[in-house]
Amino acid sequence: MTVDSFRDYLDLLNDGGESVSFEESVSWDLEASAITTLANLQDGPIPVFESVSESATDAALVGDPYRGPRDEPWDHLARSFDLGVSLSGRGYYEEVIERLQTPREPRVVDRSDAPCKASIQTGTDIDLLSFPWPYIHQGDGGRYSNLHTVVAPDPDTEWGRWSRHRMMIHDDATASLLLLAGEQLPNRYYYEYEPREEPMPVAAVVGAEPAVECCADMWIPTGRSEATFAGGLTDTPVDLVQCETNELYVPATAEVVIEGRVLPADRLDEGPFGDYFGYMNGPRRSMPTFQVDAITHRAEPYVPFCVEGTGVGYGQNSTGTLQAVAAGPDATLGLRAAGFDVELAVPWQFTSRTVWVIATERPYPGYLHELANFVFTTWGMLHIDFFVFVDPAVDPLDPREVLAAIALDADPDTDFHQFGVERMPKVPLNIYQTPDEKGSADVGTSKAKTAKAYIDATTEGSPASQPLDEEMRKRAQDVLVDAGLPADQFDRFDDTEGVGR
Amino acid sequence: MIPFTQYLEGLAKDGALCRVEDPSDVPTDAVAAEALRASGPALRFDRPDGVDLASGTFSGPDQMQRRDAQPWSRLSLGLGLGPDASLVDLLDTIVGLGPAEDGQNPTYTRQVASQTDADVLDLNFPRGVDDTWATFTLGIASVSTTRGTHWVPIHGSIVSADKLRVRVPTALSTLLPDDATISIALGVPPAAITAAYLLAGTGRTETPIQSCGVADAVPLVPTNGGLVPSATEVVVEATVADRTPDFRSDRREAWEHVAESTPLALAVERVVATDDPVIPFTPVGRPLADDLRLTGLTTAAMLYHRVNDYWGISPVEWILLPAAAELGICFVASDILYAGFEWQLANILFSFSSLFDTVIIVDDDVPPHDIGRVLGDIWVKAHPSRDWVFSEPDAPAATRPRYRQGGETGSRLYVNAAWDPRWEDSYIAPQVTFEESFPPAIRDVARAIWNERTD
Repeated sequence: MTVDSFRDYLDLLNDGGESVSFEESVSWDLEASAITTLANLQDGPIPVFESVSESATDAALVGDPYRGPRDEPWDHLARSFDLGVSLSGRGYYEEVIERLQTPREPRVVDRSDAPCKASIQTGTDIDLLSFPWPYIHQGDGGRYSNLHTVVAPDPDTEWGRWSRHRMMIHDDATASLLLLAGEQLPNRYYYEYEPREEPMPVAAVVGAEPAVECCADMWIPTGRSEATFAGGLTDTPVDLVQCETNELYVPATAEVVIEGRVLPADRLDEGPFGDYFGYMNGPRRSMPTFQVDAITHRAEPYVPFCVEGTGVGYGQNSTGTLQAVAAGPDATLGLRAAGFDVELAVPWQFTSRTVWVIATERPYPGYLHELANFVFTTWGMLHIDFFVFVDPAVDPLDPREVLAAIALDADPDTDFHQFGVERMPKVPLNIYQTPDEKGSADVGTSKAKTAKAYIDATTEGSPASQPLDEEMRKRAQDVLVDAGLPADQFDRFDDTEGVGR
Repeated sequence: MIPFTQYLEGLAKDGALCRVEDPSDVPTDAVAAEALRASGPALRFDRPDGVDLASGTFSGPDQMQRRDAQPWSRLSLGLGLGPDASLVDLLDTIVGLGPAEDGQNPTYTRQVASQTDADVLDLNFPRGVDDTWATFTLGIASVSTTRGTHWVPIHGSIVSADKLRVRVPTALSTLLPDDATISIALGVPPAAITAAYLLAGTGRTETPIQSCGVADAVPLVPTNGGLVPSATEVVVEATVADRTPDFRSDRREAWEHVAESTPLALAVERVVATDDPVIPFTPVGRPLADDLRLTGLTTAAMLYHRVNDYWGISPVEWILLPAAAELGICFVASDILYAGFEWQLANILFSFSSLFDTVIIVDDDVPPHDIGRVLGDIWVKAHPSRDWVFSEPDAPAATRPRYRQGGETGSRLYVNAAWDPRWEDSYIAPQVTFEESFPPAIRDVARAIWNERTD
């Protein structure tokens, strides 16, 4: 049974003992995020803060609900999609890819059947600050919603375009949205709506079902709809409902929906913020103004948030997990569909939005250059700086294998490409450029350019050390398990045919 | 000095060793390799016949996840530091086992091993997955010259009851007269095998151990080859039978990436063993293998010592050659003293070791147990245009990587993932951490609430 709402997902975590509820009052002002940081650092249960102090709405906060277990980050979402338990990483990727190959059209439900319409604020009733938006890190520019799906119009699909953009709350009815030119939704604002001096209708969907959050993290090609892929992912149509104040459709089971417009030629302060790099990025910039026209929400809504910056290094958080378990399979499928002979494409677990590892054949000279530049000019344009290419026999989900391939097979003389060539755009959130280099935020990208590089850590097909055969490894692992070592420490090669964890 | 058997007891007490019944249908090196691959504990194979075996004793978990134990925790215990010792303490201790300026005062005691009626076949050495013959690894070869006793690492195959084929550093072979006797010590104290790796890796094979710190740490006993640790589980005394044997095995321990090696055929003269001998072995060529760790740590110790002696000050916090990177990358945390210091630092490391041709430099506040941060910072803090710095393409190839093994020259690379000392303080982005991102009062509240619910 697949999960079709954020609440069902929380129930799934609770039933599995993978969440912990706090009944005592916790403040949105750093307390909730500090506790969530501890949970993220310790690979602990997902914290659910049932009682948030100084909140006019009876809302709960949920800290990094999509963070998966350190050993198997896909586990929670695999269960929510009814893909089974104890899947190997490769097994999970292939099952998600199979689901994504069968998109399903969403189903439109009546407003009266949509849980997200339980309470509706419009006009002077709108009170954005009545929700417990967390102040996440000291030094942030303000309180943020940063784990939501932004829905915007798309001429190619009636279901709109979904993506994630952090939102800094300013007052009862305005916020600033981090829109970085180069991404699909911001491009529509900066290069279509704003030049026409026309506000762009949007809706920020907070606490949507997991499949929605996953698809918002994917790079869905133009002409296709995230909503249909979300249906494919769960093998069930996603229920959508029309907004109150515009023609957009939003997931009906969402906890909170904030409807509004991104105003042309109007900017508000945004940042600084401790984002996915693991560092506070600044300085404060100007970003488009989100004018709120309506807020609808479920009774006693749950508001998820992400402690950004804790998902780098050894840490995990929602962003890191969603990259690994949603963006990764999607990218693998996308590259295969584009004709590349890719085994797996996986974000590097220590900084998931900056570097990716792709296990691939190398069928002809120049193939890796074509592959890298295909991605850099499409979904990897702003955030990804590096690709590491490894042999198909190397598991990109195993960073030790990848590190060994870089160390032993990537020749600094011939295998590091495009380093030093500063021709490509880069998000101004980076920390390796000076504030002067990042420049103004008029169109959301850096004033300075950067390099986007790839490392060829593949071999000529004859790696020096041959791995043990799988049967031998399995028998060896059985010996160790018989001796008392935990079985989940090992691949065992028994969950997916021939595929170890 | 901690004998090998006592070391195993210490590992077991720390929960870092698991006893395994000798598998009948799986080679022990395959089992050892799987335990290492899973960052599992050291193993002791209880065998009904011959020697007991121990694997993973000089290795440890990888650093791809945050773990309680560090890759160097076991060896730290073996060198008498305790499992919680810092990496730098361990590196200092390792260097202290090598050549010393002060006079050493070796202690001579009786030999623990006393059984002399066995031959090498009786010891039932293990035969690995890819091996034709039974093999031994992680041994010390001890030979005497007029200067004293010399120790080097040795490994080899048991061809027959009286015939061995071994590999030793070429530097040792040149010290040997034709009819020389070699003593092979197996199951020696951790300090002894560490010293042997250090001496071979630093090109100090000619230095007698009587002039090394290890002589102060390890009680010794004379044998027909040379001095060996008195607490040695198995001693095989042999003479050199052939200096150019037909020895086609491609098995190489990791020290052979830093020291040229040569084969020898040996004729066994005598075998001395303890009543219930237990010896270490390493699954050569497998990820995280013991010989890889020992080579990485002894090389790091040498580099740390030499680099910090080089400029009259000690800007380097730590150096690590992770076994996870197969010793092909050197990580160094340092104070970047001035603009361009990072170039000097990388190139002095290239000068002191030919093992790697990639160096990663991180700020001195990055702890060595947080390799996860290093593996993030290299991509996030280092500018892909300016901080990935390639040398001109005429550098010699490093010995560890698999490319350019024909001796072709090429570029070296260092990645500067440290802040630029020329930057204004306001450019330096604060890190998101529990300590940096929350004031003390919030941290206290958060810890109290979290611990109450989850402890």
